[in-house]
Amino acid sequence: MTTQSPPSLPISARFLVGVLRFPGTNCDFDTFEAIRNVPGLEPVWIGHIETDLAGMDALILPGGFSYGDYLRTGAVAAQAPVIDAVRSFARDGKPVLGICNGFQILVEARILPGVLLVNTSRSFICEEAPLVVQNNCTPFTSLLSEGNRLSLPIAHQEGRYYLPDKDLKELERRGQVVFRYLQNPNGSANAIAGISNPEGNVVGLMPHPERRSRSTAPGTGGFLIFESLLFSLLHPSAIPSGPAGQSLSPA
Amino acid sequence: MKTASTFRIPPEEMNMIRDLLGKDPTLTEEAVFSAMWSEHCSYKSSRVHLRAFSSRHPRVVSGPGENAGIVHLRDGLCLAFKMESHNHPSYLEPFQGAATGVGGILRDIIAMGARPIAVANSLVFGSLRHPFHRTLFRRVVEGIAGYGNPIGVPTVGGEIWFDDRYQDNILVNVLAMGVVEDRSIMTAKAPREGLLAIYIGNRTGRDGVSGAAMASRGFSSESGDLRPQVQIADPYAGKNLMEATLEIARRRLAEAVQDMGAAGITSSSTEMAGRAGLGMEIDVEKVPLREFSMEPWEILLSESQERMLVLADPKNVEPIRDIATRWHLSSDIIGHTITEPHFIVRNGQRVVADIPIAFLTDDAPLYTRPSTTLPSSPDRHPFPPSFSGTHSLSDLFRKMLESPNGGDPRWIYRHFDFEVQTRTVLGPGHDASVLDLKDRKGSAVALSVVSLPHACSRDPFRGGRLSVAKAVTELAAVGAFPLGMTDCLNFGNPENPAIMGTFQDAVRGIASAGIALDIPVVSGNVSLYNETNGKSIPPTPMIGMTGLLSSVRNRIGGRVAGPGFRLALVGRMGPLDLGGSYLDWILGEDSPGPVPDFDAGALNSLVTFMSAASMHGRISASRAIGRGGLIRSLLLFLDGDPAHGVFMELDEPVDPVKFFFSEAPGRLLLAYRPEEEFPLSDMALETGVPFKPIGYSASHRWMIRYRNVDLQRKEWTESLHDLKNRYRTSLSQYMEELP
Repeated sequence: MTTQSPPSLPISARFLVGVLRFPGTNCDFDTFEAIRNVPGLEPVWIGHIETDLAGMDALILPGGFSYGDYLRTGAVAAQAPVIDAVRSFARDGKPVLGICNGFQILVEARILPGVLLVNTSRSFICEEAPLVVQNNCTPFTSLLSEGNRLSLPIAHQEGRYYLPDKDLKELERRGQVVFRYLQNPNGSANAIAGISNPEGNVVGLMPHPERRSRSTAPGTGGFLIFESLLFSLLHPSAIPSGPAGQSLSPA
Repeated sequence: MKTASTFRIPPEEMNMIRDLLGKDPTLTEEAVFSAMWSEHCSYKSSRVHLRAFSSRHPRVVSGPGENAGIVHLRDGLCLAFKMESHNHPSYLEPFQGAATGVGGILRDIIAMGARPIAVANSLVFGSLRHPFHRTLFRRVVEGIAGYGNPIGVPTVGGEIWFDDRYQDNILVNVLAMGVVEDRSIMTAKAPREGLLAIYIGNRTGRDGVSGAAMASRGFSSESGDLRPQVQIADPYAGKNLMEATLEIARRRLAEAVQDMGAAGITSSSTEMAGRAGLGMEIDVEKVPLREFSMEPWEILLSESQERMLVLADPKNVEPIRDIATRWHLSSDIIGHTITEPHFIVRNGQRVVADIPIAFLTDDAPLYTRPSTTLPSSPDRHPFPPSFSGTHSLSDLFRKMLESPNGGDPRWIYRHFDFEVQTRTVLGPGHDASVLDLKDRKGSAVALSVVSLPHACSRDPFRGGRLSVAKAVTELAAVGAFPLGMTDCLNFGNPENPAIMGTFQDAVRGIASAGIALDIPVVSGNVSLYNETNGKSIPPTPMIGMTGLLSSVRNRIGGRVAGPGFRLALVGRMGPLDLGGSYLDWILGEDSPGPVPDFDAGALNSLVTFMSAASMHGRISASRAIGRGGLIRSLLLFLDGDPAHGVFMELDEPVDPVKFFFSEAPGRLLLAYRPEEEFPLSDMALETGVPFKPIGYSASHRWMIRYRNVDLQRKEWTESLHDLKNRYRTSLSQYMEELP
């Protein structure tokens, strides 16, 4: 016997990851593909009027635009029927990731704290954004460690994270900042690029990991986010427990 | 009764219409003629000349006459692409004008059944010293972003030029490309009578009424406010319409599809029927409306956005309308194809127009407008160039970098989502963009957009040829070979013989280069009457060219990765003329020498060499010698990091101004690891491509040693930091201080 069996993954592992689609969502295929490229994860489409998320192991709200975002970004999607189901899914402690517009929807739905304002340049910014990992106690950063650097692209007009000073201090103190920009591109408070809820199972970030998940992409840092998800689902106990302290519930 | 036309149809054409119909046209009929006989729809001044273009090539699946051109890639996978102008509307309302330009060209691609994978643009404005042009520029860029970003199609590349000669007429040209399986390709030709015409998309409003006719005239101070003739973009509906149309195509529910673009319902219905020698009956009462009390002629001429006209068998109407509803779109059956080749418009029971379709298309006026041509390039500029001596090389280079034309275009493309769809493996900032097709074989396509306004103003024939050659060179730089091209021909008033002469010259130039290089012209667009108060723009043809790579993994980027790479020049080295170059534009001398030409054989060899070298992975980076000549291209080559510099040592004597600043096409800068030098030079020898090592990339320095024609040793050093700083800020400095 010379063949080696793949050691890491039980053959039977197959986790269902719901990929949400609102009318107008345009990073849906990219995200779906990025998930599909991780053996062990299986993407499943979830429509905006879905109310039953039973069977899902994790949820991802992809980026792009929802309902055209002619109103405040994410504001209409936050009222969609599926959002109540997302809220209780999150309350159950299951992993939820909001990317870009998905992050905007999560804050509009008050599932994550804060707001995302128009960039200080008041223009759309599409460029590479070097990041520092601030917290590896989430299901999406479990293969990383604090201080790790990775580079992911941003593409948004409303990505300036904002919280009133007092709440911001609390957010920092509880370790809810997950990613920080090395060079603040959009004027975000404390250069915040991504945060989690107090429990750590819900993460939102403005940069696009799905755009760095193909071997032909300019970088492959995005793999780490989705591989972390698989690792966390396989080994729930291996994730350090979420940020300590009392919850900072969204206002 | 012979009164002036309500729709500003010229008196002699009104007489033609009366002769054809044998009566005075009704108001609705006159409206239909005004749109279909407009320059924009009929190509009446340009059509006779466009016959020079060849679309014959075994790769071509669909050529001019359809919504977009299509070439075959491999294994049934095809590429649809087309370029279009939106100049007039963008000057009037830059955001909406540019946004609807993007929307319109995307729908042309979608109507072929193709999923758009990229858009690109080519923009020309007046000088940024004028605050008005800063506003136009900013709003056009935001408009392109405002459509491309939400609909989820990456804007992957483009060209920019600022020039006072475009003070009163800016140019906004957009290109879109998409992929389609051969069995899902749609046509815009009605196959038989008895098909139902189904309207899907946004409701029709009064925006953009008579837009095609507006874009077929010059501007004048008496024009008044033309903004109501500009259309309004709705990218959200556009995205839904895209998904709905692609689903209809994929499920093969439709017999023909056309975008309701210029001249709206009128052109789409008459053209689809007309191509097949059939007729069409439309009932305007059935058209979904946004506002009540619209007149039939307004409904017919409205250019409201995000609408498609689908021809389908009655049995497929229900599934098609179901798809529309599912994508939140309005739909209704508004007519049907008929055997009698007439365009019949009803308003309920009342017939408001009945016109034989041939009157609108075949019998439309076709002009061979008088033209005067100037002598071709070499004779026109009999004097040798006089630049050298008066300025130092360093001064010339700095002048180039001071103008926004020589600056970093990053300010523009950071507005564009160039990565959505995760196909963009080489995006803006490289010579050509490369897109991953994500098929099993790892195929990738490349896209290059070229405009050379100054070369074309010096010599439209050579300028046209040069544009094609430059596009080929840029494709070669990334390792691609050319598939086909599309063009957008922006000119002034065709009734002026001198303008018509430049038009003919440029068309001849592009056509001759296409034939010499065996690159078919598969689609295109003509924009005439770019004039204001009698002053026309210089001739400005723009070229979009697509290419195919052996594999996505073999692409070659345009930036040196670090110090220690060998640098070489490949391609035919002479004659290095300066006419029409960026240097020529900066200095504005009277006799800059001829606009350079190219050698088709040498260019084809270069493409072969690059394709072969890319397959072996021997080249780390490459960049075409473009705007500003070797020296500016070198700076772009080193743009990956502020510390990346160069040490160059040339052994053969050179005429420095020509050597460093000529933009003669067919030459590339290469960067490679030292051990690749022998294999590469062998390969170059085999393919007959001149190969000349010139130095290597170095850290924190800019040093060039050469000998001039008098064999004197010269050294050219610069502060690397200063050069890069100038490059980075010369465009953005005009934009960032704005409120």
